[in-house]
Amino acid sequence: MRQWRSIAKEAMDRASIIVKFLCLLHVTDAYVVSSNHVLGPSMLPTLNITGDVVLVEHLSHRIGKLGSGDLVLVRSPLDPNKTLTKRIVAMEGDKVTFSLDPTRSFSSRSLVVPKGHVWIQGDNLYVSRDSRHFGPLPYGLIEGKVFMRVWPPSSFGLLG
Amino acid sequence: MEQLYCCSERPLFALRYQQISRHCRYCSILLVERISTRTGKLRPGDVVIFRSPETPRKIVCKRLIGLEGDQITYVVDPQSGDRCETIVVPKGHVWVEGDYIYNTKDSRNFGALPYGLLEGRAFWTLLPRKDFGPLTPKPE
Repeated sequence: MRQWRSIAKEAMDRASIIVKFLCLLHVTDAYVVSSNHVLGPSMLPTLNITGDVVLVEHLSHRIGKLGSGDLVLVRSPLDPNKTLTKRIVAMEGDKVTFSLDPTRSFSSRSLVVPKGHVWIQGDNLYVSRDSRHFGPLPYGLIEGKVFMRVWPPSSFGLLG
Repeated sequence: MEQLYCCSERPLFALRYQQISRHCRYCSILLVERISTRTGKLRPGDVVIFRSPETPRKIVCKRLIGLEGDQITYVVDPQSGDRCETIVVPKGHVWVEGDYIYNTKDSRNFGALPYGLLEGRAFWTLLPRKDFGPLTPKPE
């Protein structure tokens, strides 16, 4: 009996270490820093079309330290299961001038970004679907700020 | 996964009509589950909590009226007549309204809400004691 009890105790101790590690991993991944695979042509030349692995930090948007020019990961307002990577062009209260068709520079519109929203655009204006199509993005949809690229190794380094 | 949320988003010393029940002036404590929003199993009539599109630090509690693709007819301003408008909820969005339409800021003010802002579904009232139990469907 005593033998089983000591084995059970040791098993529980080891299991608790594993559980604590998984909890730490989850908290770090969800609330501190996570890695994401981003692909698509809408952020050329900043991000590759074939896909990059980037590190996203989840702290800046909670303390309000995001500004225009930051690369952000956002949840798509058109499809809640998709995340987009775009650049913030204007914060709330700023006036933004944009044209839906970048090949015709004379057809531009401007508006003021409403309260609680941001204006995001892809770096590759010709193929990006961004705020020019679905309007200003509510700030609550921002998930994190992209700050570093780790794959491919040739483009390893800080971004933005 | 459950979490406690206070339904009134103002400090307790400020009297504020609670948006869901017109008879309750106090703060309510609700039990909220976060699984339905992730699996997409929400139905019109559910009470949901979401991050406000105008004030991103505020969590708001309203009732889900329509999902994407639904046609919604709503009274634009109940205090000044009965003028109604009909819209179709766009893709990736939902329509939320407070039960007490005379004093609520909801989709009739800020438009359809992107689904990504939903945080959870409230299903049980803990406080006040007289309302303890499952949340009721919308009073007609």
